[in-house]
Amino acid sequence: MDDGLNGRRLREAGALGLVVLAGLVAAALFVMLAGKDPLATFRVMLGYALGSGNGFAEVVVRAVPLCLAGLGVAVAFRCNVFNIGADGQIVVGAILAAAAVMAVPGLPGPLALAVFLACGIAGGAIYGGIAGWLRARFGVSEIIVTIMQNYIAIQFLTWMVRGPMQEAMGMFPRSDRLPDGAMLGLMVDGTRVHWGLALALAATLIVHVAMRHSSFGFQVGVVGRNPLVARFAGIADRRVVVLAMLASGGLAGLAGAVEIAGLHHRLQDDFAPGFGLLAIAVALLARLEPLAVPFSALLFGVLHVGSGAVQREIGLPFPVVWIFEAIVIFGCLGLGAVRARTVRAAA
Amino acid sequence: MIDMLFLIGLAASAFRFATPILFASLGETIGQRAGVLNVGLEGIMLVGAFMGVLGAVWTGSPWGGLALAIIGGIAMAALHGLFCLVFRVDQILSGIALIVLGTGLSGFGYRLTLGAAGTPPKAPPFPRLEISGLTDLPVIGPILFQHQPMVYLGIAMAILLAWFLRHTTWGLEIRAVGENPAAADAAGIDVNRRRWAAVLFGGAMAAAGGCYLSVSQVGGFVENMVSGRGFIAIACVVFGQWRPLRVLCAALLFGAAEAAQIRLQLIAPNVPYQLFVMMPYVVAIAALVLAARSTRLPAALGKAFVR
Amino acid sequence: MAPLLELRAITKRYPGVLANDDVGLTVDAGEVVAVLGENGAGKSTVMNIIAGLVRPDAGDILIGGRTVRPRSPRDAAAMGIGMVHQHFKLVPTMTVAENIVLGDYRAGRWLLRPGRNAARIEALLAELGLNADPATPVGDLDLGARQKVEIAKALFRDAGILILDEPTAILSRRECDQLYDIIRRLAARGVAVLLISHKLDDIFAVCDRVYVMRQGRVVGERTVAGTPRDDLVRLVVGGALELPERDGAQSAPGQALIRLRDVTLRRPGAPPALRDVTFDLHAGEVLAVAGVEGNGQAELVEALAGMLPPASGRIDHDFAGQARRPTAAALRRAGLGHVPGDRHGMAMLGDMDLRDNVMLTHFHMPGFARFGLLRRGTAAALADKVIDRFEVRTPHAATAIGRLSGGNQQKLVVGREMNHATRVLLAAHPTRGLDLRTIAFMQRQLLDHRNRGGAVLLVSSDLAEIWRVADRVMVASSGRLHGPVRIADTTIEEVGAWMTA
Repeated sequence: MDDGLNGRRLREAGALGLVVLAGLVAAALFVMLAGKDPLATFRVMLGYALGSGNGFAEVVVRAVPLCLAGLGVAVAFRCNVFNIGADGQIVVGAILAAAAVMAVPGLPGPLALAVFLACGIAGGAIYGGIAGWLRARFGVSEIIVTIMQNYIAIQFLTWMVRGPMQEAMGMFPRSDRLPDGAMLGLMVDGTRVHWGLALALAATLIVHVAMRHSSFGFQVGVVGRNPLVARFAGIADRRVVVLAMLASGGLAGLAGAVEIAGLHHRLQDDFAPGFGLLAIAVALLARLEPLAVPFSALLFGVLHVGSGAVQREIGLPFPVVWIFEAIVIFGCLGLGAVRARTVRAAA
Repeated sequence: MIDMLFLIGLAASAFRFATPILFASLGETIGQRAGVLNVGLEGIMLVGAFMGVLGAVWTGSPWGGLALAIIGGIAMAALHGLFCLVFRVDQILSGIALIVLGTGLSGFGYRLTLGAAGTPPKAPPFPRLEISGLTDLPVIGPILFQHQPMVYLGIAMAILLAWFLRHTTWGLEIRAVGENPAAADAAGIDVNRRRWAAVLFGGAMAAAGGCYLSVSQVGGFVENMVSGRGFIAIACVVFGQWRPLRVLCAALLFGAAEAAQIRLQLIAPNVPYQLFVMMPYVVAIAALVLAARSTRLPAALGKAFVR
Repeated sequence: MAPLLELRAITKRYPGVLANDDVGLTVDAGEVVAVLGENGAGKSTVMNIIAGLVRPDAGDILIGGRTVRPRSPRDAAAMGIGMVHQHFKLVPTMTVAENIVLGDYRAGRWLLRPGRNAARIEALLAELGLNADPATPVGDLDLGARQKVEIAKALFRDAGILILDEPTAILSRRECDQLYDIIRRLAARGVAVLLISHKLDDIFAVCDRVYVMRQGRVVGERTVAGTPRDDLVRLVVGGALELPERDGAQSAPGQALIRLRDVTLRRPGAPPALRDVTFDLHAGEVLAVAGVEGNGQAELVEALAGMLPPASGRIDHDFAGQARRPTAAALRRAGLGHVPGDRHGMAMLGDMDLRDNVMLTHFHMPGFARFGLLRRGTAAALADKVIDRFEVRTPHAATAIGRLSGGNQQKLVVGREMNHATRVLLAAHPTRGLDLRTIAFMQRQLLDHRNRGGAVLLVSSDLAEIWRVADRVMVASSGRLHGPVRIADTTIEEVGAWMTA
């Protein structure tokens, strides 16, 4: 019995090594295709992102919203609900949060921040909840609905920052600076690292406890694995789906609010480019485990910040980072397939 | 001023705007009828858009661009087929990876080639087909008979595929493979081989749609230019209930919505234009809810087949 | 002259079970031969091997005296083997004609030419007595008609050997008679017919010879004419028919805990599985449901467990209070335990560990959660208790349940459900796959539960087990529940006969 387990672990480790190697080779091939040196590229990427204080700070800054949105995606995916709409939920959360504090300007500091964040959560939750309800009620695919919602939300943001919520001066597509009381201050002076980091880590713990130790998290896991077993166990599987989308959207909305409160301090166009798809990659790499999400978010932060440096110093076009991310996702999928095969072989 | 001229212009534009979506959705229709879900159309269309412009510039002919785009689409679809049909991973996740890859490949490739210089070279567009006599007809002349070849090709494909599914052996087998692969297997059909063919065809079509978008509609490649059309194509498949002629109507509907939103902006300049831009996406959600009642979803869609 | 089809020493092993053990049979042209046996006897495996879906580990298949190796359904069809599956391999959205020509390239390699084959298809349908228009979607046809399409598929390919897998399982009386007619006519034409069934009526209506299978082996061959029914029942049911030891304590059945009145059960989109079901389940009794699997037992158990609402009629869970349609969770809280027949697909999650699988049905019960947070300790303690009591062999309570053997998974599920079952226990095939000692232990548990005043609904296809444990028995067959009758008032042969009716 033990031998089998060790043999399986060995095979899995071997598969992991193989997949990582294949991924690195594929990435290197693309770099060479652009006529650049792969080793130099990796050196610059990791050197800036991990080697310099500034670089690492930027990595953390980028990782914060990815962590929050990634947690949201992980919750939904654990329920087998494919929330591709984190982008839209981020935007709607941010808009609702900004609108709330703009509507009630006189709030004292901590209260304003609480309202801001709460509305961020609420906005994302409601927006995601719509897709969840459509699936539970009509059986409509949440994949397409959430993706459509993304585009709708982005258009809505574009309108808001050029119209009703635009700054008083009316020059740029952005809102006025939001009241300082509602914003998150810097956590580490000299960098852009803000208190959103603490929120992201707190959220990680909360989601972990919820998924692993709460009754709701347990039900999510059962519904995600097998809805028939869920019904056998007396779980209201359709209600769980809606609740999972509410939670997922809420986390993404919080990501949007945090990004505004910590970094931009105002609502503006395209403030979270591509975070939604990135969050999916983050969640997949973390194998949907909340405690692994921050690390996964850091890795993607490294990829992004490093790619910026690579673009500056080596001249490799920035979109290569998407290729790297695709390699990561395909690698995760391939690894999952290998794992499934060894389980089948052992049975 | 909503008068005849307006409506004629709208209808003519509808055909043009519908074409990229039509190609992608027709390809996806075949793929889904065979039981394989590909949500990565957006990525494939981007690759097709880029490679279409690249090929057109390199060969000096838009058809060369189309050929290169199709090659790129088939390559992307082959990756999807590898992960879905051989490795049997979740088809949705593979599709998501395809979107990311397509975004990266198209942007990366563009900046390395055409976008490297200051102003990118213009891609030679498809010639407009002028059928003497027909183009001069009032009303339907401009609506139907002044388009580029790919518009007609798209409509022809819709009719051809409808016929194909009903009246050819391959069409029959593709339908069987998507509804009840166990039955097809018992009847001696190689399920995965049919699915491979359907997936690759879907990739080729999506890339062709992307190529039309860049070469004809816009005249060049812009990063992220597909803007969700790949997903609207999937909505078309559902709204068209997996029947090519109905998918054609759905694509025309979205084409009209897109054409309308541009014109409505001019008519009602006080209304924020973003509300009009939202229209096609809202229509897509509404279409899905309506279609959810009577669904002729291929029963084996999304599930890998193991004997 | 060599028989048209012969099997020699066919052996097939699956992990953990010897499905076919040295199976041999022959069928001549124009003969109708039956393979008789209960579920799990190995009949389907034999058929799948002949049809090219499965490769045997050992043994030979001979057609007309020559050894053949069908590697795929296409191979088998080319050899003249036509298979009519129990679960039809038809595409419901395609027409009758399309289903018939599917996969057969004589109908046109590229273009479907309905005209070319129309005459032949019409002739086939007429011969089979199917009145439907060939352009009708198969999904619109009733089950008997669909079966005729399945048969037409095989005949279209000029099958010289026709295999029918449990063809009468879902047919009405009238449809059965039509099928018998068709079989007789085909045999008269020279087709060799191999009929798999568990129903004696099939055997005596059309068959010339019969092979009886049990637990993977052929335990007897008989010529139908001249063989008494009892003889066959004995062979099928197996073993000595002396009444097994019954539990001494006489049951004193108490009040009715669950009452059913005129209940019809069906799954959405499927024909009714059971009709006009009326019975009471009393406290202090073991009520058994005998019958070959697939006769509505699963639907019945799910309905009683609150998972499947009746299509008509009413089910009153009197022990669970006033709610009109109590949920599965509410029934559990009221003291109902549910051991489904499909353990894997329904009662457990393979990649979760034993403790979490215990928590699966307990998470809403008092003591297992507080303020929304699970109290895993409670589940762990219960899991340890179950593992201990039921001797579940596992390296650790934190092992994923999917890594345990089927028998041990079974033990955990039963143990878990017995913890719920303070009033009612629904147990479908609870001892399947277990060793003798554990079977005895399980049966003891059932009886203890009954003696404490609980009610047990036991679904089993093991008549010996039913005789050992049950107080009353019902038989699920042909869409109805016969009985209930008291065990004391009937015999094994009678129940066996009902099962094979």
